[in-house]
Amino acid sequence: MLRKEQNDYLCQTDPGTPMGTMFRAYWMPALLSEELLEPDCPPVRLKLLGERLIAFRDSEGKLGLIDEFCAHRGVSLWFARNEECGLRCPYHGWKYDVTGQCVEVPSEPAESGYAKKVKLKNYPLIDKGGVLWTYMGPPEKTPPEPMYEFCTVPLNQTFMTKRLQESNWLQAMEGGIDSSHVSFLHRGDLSTDPLFKGAGGNKYNMQDLSPVFEVVENEGGLLIGARRNAEDDQYYWRITPWVMPCYTGVPPRGDHPIHGHFWVPIDDENCWAWSYDYHPTRPLSENEVSAMKDGKGIHVKYVPGTYRPLANKDNDYLMDRAGQKAGKTFSGIEGIGMQDASLQESMGPICDRTKENLVGTDNGIIMARHRLLRAARALTEKGITPPGVDPEHHKVRQAALLLKRDVQYKDGAKEALKVKPGVRQTSV
Amino acid sequence: MLSESARMTTAHEASFRVQYPNSRPRAARIIALDPESAALVNEVSKRKWNGAKFFTSLSFTAESGPGTTDQGMKAWLGDLAGRAMDLASEVAESDFVVVITAAGEDARAASVIAAACKAHNKSLIGLVVPKDGASEEDVGTSLDHLRPHTRMLVVASGRDYIETMLTALRA
Repeated sequence: MLRKEQNDYLCQTDPGTPMGTMFRAYWMPALLSEELLEPDCPPVRLKLLGERLIAFRDSEGKLGLIDEFCAHRGVSLWFARNEECGLRCPYHGWKYDVTGQCVEVPSEPAESGYAKKVKLKNYPLIDKGGVLWTYMGPPEKTPPEPMYEFCTVPLNQTFMTKRLQESNWLQAMEGGIDSSHVSFLHRGDLSTDPLFKGAGGNKYNMQDLSPVFEVVENEGGLLIGARRNAEDDQYYWRITPWVMPCYTGVPPRGDHPIHGHFWVPIDDENCWAWSYDYHPTRPLSENEVSAMKDGKGIHVKYVPGTYRPLANKDNDYLMDRAGQKAGKTFSGIEGIGMQDASLQESMGPICDRTKENLVGTDNGIIMARHRLLRAARALTEKGITPPGVDPEHHKVRQAALLLKRDVQYKDGAKEALKVKPGVRQTSV
Repeated sequence: MLSESARMTTAHEASFRVQYPNSRPRAARIIALDPESAALVNEVSKRKWNGAKFFTSLSFTAESGPGTTDQGMKAWLGDLAGRAMDLASEVAESDFVVVITAAGEDARAASVIAAACKAHNKSLIGLVVPKDGASEEDVGTSLDHLRPHTRMLVVASGRDYIETMLTALRA
């Protein structure tokens, strides 16, 4: 349970809000690289943290992310011509470069220098690991580039998708650290989904439906361990890392690719659910990539030509009551990603946490909120850099492993939780 | 025509949610396992709570009968007023129990509380709070004491988490 003012504090990310200020301390996924593939390709409009922006790749391949609207009459530059190293507004021909600097105002004499006095707000955009990342905070505080393992391995070892989620970012992110829902909502998918099935650890999930949890704070966020009984005086541990503010990892299964998410606010009522899969030591197979493109695992199928899921609230998520009754799926919704999204969107655009009744096993969520509140206050009141900005905090892996019952998971899994280039993930 | 899900998930529709309470106050028992955490519990208890009861000590008397430990001892909790309260009765009347220990302190008494929770089917949450000068090994010792008995175990880096957690749980 949160008080309304606490809920508002955590959910609101527009410019000037405390949480918005905190999000602006990090590099965030903005677009997929595939959205701006070539010089002079069509510009892409996007909204992040409540700000309307336009992204483009100029004639020289440079990336730009600037205010969406022309400074002259407020036309959307989505209609602009991307030509000769700039976006030209089709209304009166004003032209902007990748920094947002106006370089031409055709109605004014070039010698007047008027164009130099016009500049749209811009943010940096970098291409890393198939993702275009932006940083929307003060330029003088730009942090080092992100170092999450999925964006540092060769491109043939990693795969990223994004989907629109029509809810506030926090209720989406909280699903990523809510390990106790997996045994219910996603049961069934462990034995059928090509990106999950066949892993040795799956049997422990199916045999022990009452996992015991341990939540440990670390430098960048949290480690949430769920343990289940296993044979030979062992526990089967699944360890979920959360890196502040919105990165969550899913513990791996067998030699399947590792996956996880970013939950990036679009505005207070929508977010992007980014879903990655990668393997630390080998290229993804054709079958794996094909399954991911087909919406398996944590990915989804799309409305053609968009990043909106094919199953969405406009079609009641293609609810299959017969399948629900027959046990094909637990909720009647197909696919892990949409099983989560459908329920999280049903909470309403912004979940009312004044009415919730949390229990002990929700401590991962309670602790995450606590850390977000604490870090946002420390940043806005004292200027303290929040956890998760330092790229060293990104170098954490999710893990699934068997440990003797008298071994601490923080000790027993210590090496498994570190990113080690060229070393396979620890998984059962 | 809009689907039912599309119509029902707007901010406007959210305003029509029923305003009646959806739960009754839960009876929480918060027990400090050592002097260091007892001081914290004493401090936290001064806030406004929904019926949570706080205890700062655990003691035993040689008695037999219902509510005794395996060793034929009866366990007593010390409340903030200095009264001795029967552990078994307090657990029986609770909805959940939280045990708190400072890193490295002796938390073995958790096993007695866990036995009472098991007897009455109550959920036990363990919380390890930081202590000045405590090492990673100290935290490990605390975890060793609590791990076999708790359904949820939390290692917090700040002492303010006690209040946050209890508020979140509507204690």
